[in-house]
Amino acid sequence: MKDPNGAELRPVCKSDDLLEGAMMKVTVGSEDILVGRKGGKLFACNNSCPHKGASLSKGHMDGENIVCYMHGYEYNVFTGKLEKMMSWKKEDTWIEQDPEWRKSGPLVLYPISEEDGMVYVGLKSNPDS
Amino acid sequence: MTKGTVPNIVAIEVLKKNGVNVEKLKELLTKGVGAEFTTYYYYTILRMHCTGLDGEGIKEIVEDARIEDRNHFEAMVPRLYELGGSLPRDIRKFADQAGCPDAYLPDNWEDINSILKVLLEAEQCAIRSWGEVCDMTAGKDPRTYDIAQRIMQEEVEHEAWFIELLSKRPSGHFRRKFAGQSPHTGAQGSLIHL
Repeated sequence: MKDPNGAELRPVCKSDDLLEGAMMKVTVGSEDILVGRKGGKLFACNNSCPHKGASLSKGHMDGENIVCYMHGYEYNVFTGKLEKMMSWKKEDTWIEQDPEWRKSGPLVLYPISEEDGMVYVGLKSNPDS
Repeated sequence: MTKGTVPNIVAIEVLKKNGVNVEKLKELLTKGVGAEFTTYYYYTILRMHCTGLDGEGIKEIVEDARIEDRNHFEAMVPRLYELGGSLPRDIRKFADQAGCPDAYLPDNWEDINSILKVLLEAEQCAIRSWGEVCDMTAGKDPRTYDIAQRIMQEEVEHEAWFIELLSKRPSGHFRRKFAGQSPHTGAQGSLIHL
């Protein structure tokens, strides 16, 4: 099975595994991928946080954003865009981190679709993400 | 075999067969040891600012955490190289890629609780960081897992100590036999000189 861009799609779970608001980690090849459903739409992104590599499956959703449990960074699961760069400062007297440490790329997104009760993910990531 | 030719490395081959993403693991290890090394540096500054009667009371416990975090760096770095990884040649890049924030001295350091809060934040990030390595290697890479879980045990102890000092919640803490004893990681890694 292939998506419209020619990426090969692999079955990863049943549609019933991804009810509204659900997300789960699946492994395709050697890649851990986070799949889920939000607002009726499916998403698939690399499970590794682009900031420091934490498992995004340990985070939680806030609207369309996945919130990383490690440093609180938020990424839109449909666009991959970094939406919120959390400060480490718990108090005003703390000094902010160096910008080089704080910076992050976008989420790596993958094509995802469902057919006949199965969810499929493509290994080829979105070059725009 | 000619000089410079690296033969097949069975110790890495078996990890891949076990499903370990070795490149991802090396990345996490580099970030983890980066955090340990920077924490060791910043804890030196924090310890120097544990002053007065209150500061004297926590100076030794901060020193234990400081030295043990350095030991964590030394325990895991040889494993990183075994896996084919390496430390960045530039220490600035090393610090920038570290998995946890720099434990900067807060502006109100005269309040000893402000130092304890920074110490606690650093330890909690380290627990999450080594937890990632443990999760990735459990049942697949016993050598990396063994080192990571030993580090994890000491990070959990450090967190408990600092929570006790901030909140009075008992931690089970009693002094180490000597500063930075590292009861769990002390025998790990060829760089440790205990």
